[in-house]
Amino acid sequence: MAGKDKVYKCLNPVGIQPPVKTSPLAPRPGNLDGKTVHLSICGEADIWVPLEKKLKADYPNTNWSVKKRYHIVPMELSEEEKKTTDAVILGVCW
Amino acid sequence: MPYLAGLEKEGIPTVLINFGEETGKVEHDSTLYGVPKLRHIVASRNSVGGVTEAEILVKPVLEALTRPLSDEEKESGIWEPHEPRILFEGTLPEAEEFYNQTENIPGILNAPFSKYTDGLPVVIPTEERVAEMLKGTSHKPDEIITLQRDMVMDGFGPVESTTTRKKGDVVNFMPMYRTATVEQVAVNAVMAGCKPEYFPVVLAIAESGGGTGDGRGGGGGFIVSGPIYKEIGMNVTNSIFGPGNPANKTIGRVGSLLWRNLGGYKETVTTITTLGSPVTNGGFIFAEYTEGLPEGWKGLNEEMGFREDESIIMTGAMGMGEWGIGQSNAPGVYRSLQRTGHGAIARFLDVKGIPGPHNYLEYLAKDAWATRDGGFTLVMPPQIAQDLCDYGFKTKDSIYEWIWKKSFEPVSKFRMRGAQDFITNGWLGIEKTSGKPWKELPEDYMVPAGGDNPFASYNILLCNMEETACARFGGGHGQAFSIDAWR
Repeated sequence: MAGKDKVYKCLNPVGIQPPVKTSPLAPRPGNLDGKTVHLSICGEADIWVPLEKKLKADYPNTNWSVKKRYHIVPMELSEEEKKTTDAVILGVCW
Repeated sequence: MPYLAGLEKEGIPTVLINFGEETGKVEHDSTLYGVPKLRHIVASRNSVGGVTEAEILVKPVLEALTRPLSDEEKESGIWEPHEPRILFEGTLPEAEEFYNQTENIPGILNAPFSKYTDGLPVVIPTEERVAEMLKGTSHKPDEIITLQRDMVMDGFGPVESTTTRKKGDVVNFMPMYRTATVEQVAVNAVMAGCKPEYFPVVLAIAESGGGTGDGRGGGGGFIVSGPIYKEIGMNVTNSIFGPGNPANKTIGRVGSLLWRNLGGYKETVTTITTLGSPVTNGGFIFAEYTEGLPEGWKGLNEEMGFREDESIIMTGAMGMGEWGIGQSNAPGVYRSLQRTGHGAIARFLDVKGIPGPHNYLEYLAKDAWATRDGGFTLVMPPQIAQDLCDYGFKTKDSIYEWIWKKSFEPVSKFRMRGAQDFITNGWLGIEKTSGKPWKELPEDYMVPAGGDNPFASYNILLCNMEETACARFGGGHGQAFSIDAWR
């Protein structure tokens, strides 16, 4: 076979991706009256300062809890806190 | 994202607020963390004031928390992508076209982005070439990359914490949490243009995480210390950072290929970066010249707890990669300072007409932290190091301490630094030198702008050069990994 026609097997540089078990979303409550909603604030104070005020003012029948951190890694709910939390809003990050 | 995915799996409904250019990554990470249909709402960076944005966000955020699930959102399953060992079979010209192919990514204005490379052409990883590369190590091709010794890793910022990792722990390459075999690292080493004798260095780079960092590693910055630099011909002299030396260029490049292929980096899809680093520029390596060290100064390997005859790489010390911060001077101006006490630096130090040794660091450190925090690494020729030693710095540690102390300033000034709102967690954390909360410190309390501690924040490395020029870039001491463990 001429050199330029020689066929080579060429290897894959990509790493090994572990399999991931995918889950459905948690069921949604019909409304938030009487529920506890947790605000997980990660930076972007210029959005969150008015957003937190508006949520609390516009939805007074909802219990609002808050944890703040100046970082993309949020301050997490403890196991005890999760027992009484009905929903979480987290932002602004990925 | 892992936190939100965990909450959903525990039955707590969530919604994420993200910025527009992060949406690709949010949707990708939702699958990676096992909740592919995680709900998210896009906020704008550009709306007029936060009040307007809050008004826009309230209804869609609450709707995402209460709207009943669709059939798709109720599904479960397994995400299990599989990559074949043989990626391509064909002639070399056909393989070149295949490995150098690109795709358009919407998040970067549809600019082409390479599928398997760093944007440069690669050496095709034929079975034969990979087999040749594998001769550079005694480790088996199917061995998974793991830590070769117990290590303590330091965290950073408001969530800083110390993590202990054990010998044998599997190395995960970010952002995709992938693992890799010795052979897969060899494939990337071939593609980068490395020779088999470089392979132990490449494997040590892989052990360190391969320049992937937390997914935004940029290909990494690495420093080699120990006798291996001579064995494989790394340039430690003039043009130590320049083109022309195969070992410096190809081994540095491996970091960016490991980030792309082992880590799975794809801009705006699996990771969001900002500008990248003009210093590390997709993988950067150089070696130190310990033979020129003054009496009493340790090489980097010894500083990191290894012996003088052991070869290591050090990572994580490039900081943000800034280059050329602070003062500059022509090399001849430095020589005049020390030989006869003349020239600009002599005038600056007020030593006119007095031969040295003079403390060059007084000039280098002046206003170094004007609008920048943290420490830096100095790369210098033996002459500058000897002058500092003759002046009175009998160890590298004494220099690190001296520079660090120069960076102290009052809290009132420190509060105006751009990164500290983040690093101190909005000033809610503890200031390290006092052990007290930031909010309790008086405005005139002195704190270091130049890093948390001298050894972590500063570093001095020598290159073999006659010209008295000194280079400076961000970072101090990071994590060390044995190259010898991978021979």
